[in-house]
Amino acid sequence: MRTVLHRIAMLIMREGRRMCSRPLYVFCMVIAPLFCYIFFTTLMADGLPTNLPVGAVDQDNTSTTRALLRNLDAFQQTHITAHYKDVTEARRAMQRGDIYAFYYIPQGTTADAIAGRQPRVSFYTNGSYLIAGSLLYKDLLTMTVLANASIGQQTLLARGATEQQALGFLQPILIDTHPLHNPWLNYSVYLSNTLIPGILMLLIFLVTVYAIGSEVKEGTAQTWLRTAGGNLPLALAGKLLPHTIVFFIMAAGYNVYLYLILGYPCNSGIIPMLLASFLMVLASQSFGIFLYGLLPSLRFALSAASLWGVISFSISGFSFPVMAMHPTLQALSVLFPLRHYFLIYVDQALNGYPMLYSWEAYFALLVFALLPLFILKRLHKALLHYRYIP
Amino acid sequence: MKLINLRSTLHEGLSDIFHVWSMEMRNVFRDAGVLIFFILVPLGYPLIYAFIYTNETVREVPVVAVDESHSATSREFLRRVDGAADVHIVAWAADVEEAKSIMREKGAYGTIYVPEEFNDRLAHGEQATVSIFCDMSGLLYYKALLSTCTEVSLDMNRSIQVERLGGATPRQSEVSTRPIEYEYVTLFNPQNGFASFLIPAVLMLIIQQTLLLGVGMSVGTFREKNRFLELSSIDEHHHGTFRIVIGKSLAYLMIYMLMGTYIACFVPHLFSLVQLADSWTLASFMLPYLLACIFFAMTASAVVRNRETCMLLFVFTSLPLLFISGISWPGASVPTFWKVLSWVFPSTFGINGFVHINTMGAALTDVSSEIRALWIQTGFYFVTTCLVYRWQIVRSLKVAGIKGNK
Repeated sequence: MRTVLHRIAMLIMREGRRMCSRPLYVFCMVIAPLFCYIFFTTLMADGLPTNLPVGAVDQDNTSTTRALLRNLDAFQQTHITAHYKDVTEARRAMQRGDIYAFYYIPQGTTADAIAGRQPRVSFYTNGSYLIAGSLLYKDLLTMTVLANASIGQQTLLARGATEQQALGFLQPILIDTHPLHNPWLNYSVYLSNTLIPGILMLLIFLVTVYAIGSEVKEGTAQTWLRTAGGNLPLALAGKLLPHTIVFFIMAAGYNVYLYLILGYPCNSGIIPMLLASFLMVLASQSFGIFLYGLLPSLRFALSAASLWGVISFSISGFSFPVMAMHPTLQALSVLFPLRHYFLIYVDQALNGYPMLYSWEAYFALLVFALLPLFILKRLHKALLHYRYIP
Repeated sequence: MKLINLRSTLHEGLSDIFHVWSMEMRNVFRDAGVLIFFILVPLGYPLIYAFIYTNETVREVPVVAVDESHSATSREFLRRVDGAADVHIVAWAADVEEAKSIMREKGAYGTIYVPEEFNDRLAHGEQATVSIFCDMSGLLYYKALLSTCTEVSLDMNRSIQVERLGGATPRQSEVSTRPIEYEYVTLFNPQNGFASFLIPAVLMLIIQQTLLLGVGMSVGTFREKNRFLELSSIDEHHHGTFRIVIGKSLAYLMIYMLMGTYIACFVPHLFSLVQLADSWTLASFMLPYLLACIFFAMTASAVVRNRETCMLLFVFTSLPLLFISGISWPGASVPTFWKVLSWVFPSTFGINGFVHINTMGAALTDVSSEIRALWIQTGFYFVTTCLVYRWQIVRSLKVAGIKGNK
């Protein structure tokens, strides 16, 4: 027992020296994740984009249409930045990227509306900027419905209806929406909660593979194993323990930052998320070991780790839902640790369900943490006999 | 005399450039690691992404219905919602609690709740409410549920109004229920699909990132083996650094002209994404983009010390770069500090320019600001590349000198 502890201490010190002697470790373990925490949360600090540039083509130009555009401008997401003389000119402005949408009011709209000739207005949004386009669509539609209602209401009130009756007539069925636990539709809540752990995960994959692979590359693998008395699990544990500590501090750091400082929804309390983060660190490190054992070439293992880490963001389904993907991909998504972390986040921090509801996802992360067991033999052979191949 | 001098300089310069070019070409094609980044990733990655997003939108989002009204109108409302393409009612719950427990079990992503007094209120000519509760783990669920319910309600509102107006002719009642008609057009992405929005941006990012990785790996190898020394013989000539940089970048440019054509023309076609590009506009945009990316990658490679470290340094930047470009989080809402930082990277202008040309059919004059920015970057990073290469060569000479003295 004493020799085991002694060996672990030696391994930790050895790894500590390696980590301190290369700026690469500090960069990948601390600087890069910190940068991303700050980047994503400050980029989307507003929660929802505000004052998106919108164009107006007002060929009618009456006091009514001017009032309508003024009201539209007052909407939080919309900011009317320019007037164009016709649709072609507005479309060109959209192609240049000056505006994300425009509102078109043809000549005679006011007169036709008053005379009951039912004029037609149009609004155009830019579908290639999906978020801006959908947000503006909502504003433009609401404005049109409101304009309709105000004309209708004037007519009805003039006929002697009460305001209540007028509303009941103009909009008999009203949809009342409750976006659960993110009522502000805050994009940073929606994205940062998965982007940030995803980036940390990618970096853990890479650093773990690099830490093991560089031993082979530099021809120090045998000294490393000797320090552990030839015991590979001990060698791995001692070498990667310092990484586990640093990465867990970084993971706990974003939990504190997101949930305690920025006040993002954390309805489960922070403990289930800290547990998920801890398991995520272990799962990612183990996945890194597994990859290197499977492909004992530094370059291949790093390439595979990059591929896995980057695909995670798409296949975990936090932006585009997994249920809408091809069935093959739905099945493959369980092979990505970020998918399970995302499911835990949704159940725990976002929805505040009891932990029992997410046991499968916690368990899945644990299974990832056991992956190295399958390749120990292969890895041992690789460390002892393989030579570095560029 | 002077003419001969000029001719011999020119001849020497061209042969130096050719020498560096052929050396680099050989390096690239002999190095499986670099080939992965230059050929395999650009070929394969777009296909993976297109496969993931191939369905464009979510359909049939599972929801629970709670109908406490039990009336013909409430049943019709729910039937119409169920019939729409984007929403599918998977269960009927007795109350909201039961619906919530179904959502907890992940049987559904939303609940539509029709309260008891729904029909009475309608009968009295008052406003009746339908509540929807939506799981916010994905915004697309919310969007599907909200837009479907809104559309159905607008539709039913109109028929309720027409019914109430009784005697009026259909035309009259239409006019008084909807004095202004409206039309909504989503330009450049008729389905409002995810692939048509994200893939063009990812394609441009792949060009920049694979160049960063490939050039980084090749330079890392050079530094490990101290092969900058080999270049020093050329560097001794006057303006030798220029020749090295031009020769190498020419090799990269040739490879990426092919890969760029595949990425910018073939991939969107393969997945029938919107493709409105005019070929000349696209070509005059892609040239500065490729050059800016090449020189940017050559400059950035200065931080790569070892063959493999390029992956640790560059891979994670793909996500911040995608977001900073303004394609997903709108550029107009990117804070000034990040906006200014985004001008450092060719991908910012590359993504926006390509989306404008390919997806929105912009003409050359519409993207002139992006093209100008890319040419400025090309010039700037060309100079920095020369400085960086000069520094590497001088350093490798010193290292060799120390070794030689020993």
